[in-house]
Amino acid sequence: MQNASQKPLELILARNLMSALSTPAFLVDEGGLLVFYNEAAGMLLGRRFEELGTVGPEEWGAMFGPFDGEGEPIPYDELPLVVAVRNGRPAHADFEIRSADGTRHRVEVSALPILTTHGSQGAIAVFWPASTQGTEGR
Amino acid sequence: MKIKFWGTRGSVPSPGPETIRYGGNTSCVGVTLSDGSLLALDAGTGIRNLGLALPAEPTRLHILLTHLHLDHIQGLVFFAPVFRAQTEIVIWGPASPEASLRERIARYISAPLSPVEVRELPCDVSFRHTPETEWEIGPARIRAASVAHRGPTLGYRIDDGDLSLAYIPDHEPALGADIEELEEDWISGFALASDASLLIHDGQYADAEYPNHIGWGHSSLSHSLAFAHRTGPERTVLFHHDPLHSDERLDALGVEARERWTAAGGAPGAIELGVEGGELDLRTPARRPLEAI
Repeated sequence: MQNASQKPLELILARNLMSALSTPAFLVDEGGLLVFYNEAAGMLLGRRFEELGTVGPEEWGAMFGPFDGEGEPIPYDELPLVVAVRNGRPAHADFEIRSADGTRHRVEVSALPILTTHGSQGAIAVFWPASTQGTEGR
Repeated sequence: MKIKFWGTRGSVPSPGPETIRYGGNTSCVGVTLSDGSLLALDAGTGIRNLGLALPAEPTRLHILLTHLHLDHIQGLVFFAPVFRAQTEIVIWGPASPEASLRERIARYISAPLSPVEVRELPCDVSFRHTPETEWEIGPARIRAASVAHRGPTLGYRIDDGDLSLAYIPDHEPALGADIEELEEDWISGFALASDASLLIHDGQYADAEYPNHIGWGHSSLSHSLAFAHRTGPERTVLFHHDPLHSDERLDALGVEARERWTAAGGAPGAIELGVEGGELDLRTPARRPLEAI
């Protein structure tokens, strides 16, 4: 049998869609590994995905956060993408992220699990600039 | 491993004087494994002639369906072995969250579309969703994986000894992606086709036709060539010909495919168009043009 690796089709199609969006979007696999983000997300973070490559949650957290309203790091288990992957449920939150130049951006995040006939394949998250009225407590 | 093309057309049967050489029957490929056992890849109208060519003695065979569009299942109720009680048929196909494989096929093999119901078929027929991991049929290891097309659709890889066949007849890997630049593991169907002895791949559209068919689930010639270059099979057969493509049109596409293939550094003779009735023995090292036999 061949040795070539292959992403699940659902992740491939999600990446293709995200590549065409002007909204920052992130993609993680079933293990929670960040496997892609689009150009809009790269502009927000100050680093293109091609520069960063696939990263795990610890590395991601050290570079970009996210942080709560007090500036404290948000636990990995509470991130919408992680909730979506682990629980197979959509999740929403607002928090701050830190771009490569140190600028902080307050964003709202909605994450959706990618569920297939073979189970969860990962999750996709879309970032929006936080509304001025805030969404804490959601 | 021996291959015979029983139907090379896509979308809808297209018999007539303009399609005599490449054929008008829809997708079906017969694969004879090293122990003599037979697989049928898809059950378009081409499977009717496959059934007529089989002996009437008791037999067991496997049909591997890529998906359930009509051009891939229409021949099932015209496949002679399904009307023989001594025949055992295993039909493999993609799972769907909506209904079982049997239930979805029964929508076609039932009134008012069919004069017979699945439960009335005399043969011993079973329906199985393809597993996530590879499985064995006789001496072969089979792997199925979802590929970019409309609806749940599979490609297959069949490894028998040191020979391998990749079958991806309906495929649009370049939808929203540049497959010449994309990393290998992000290309739909890559692992199935990688370094196969033979790749049978979607070749439905000429480049000029593709812009009006984006998202229809098929490849342009450029996409088919790029996919073959990236995955590196020893030999590629373009398949699932558009029903509007006459023999003359396909001749011209074949010339263009070969010229572009070799101009890009591909081995001469390693790419051709599928011909109904054509046969290949993957053991045969000599590159003989694929012609109806």
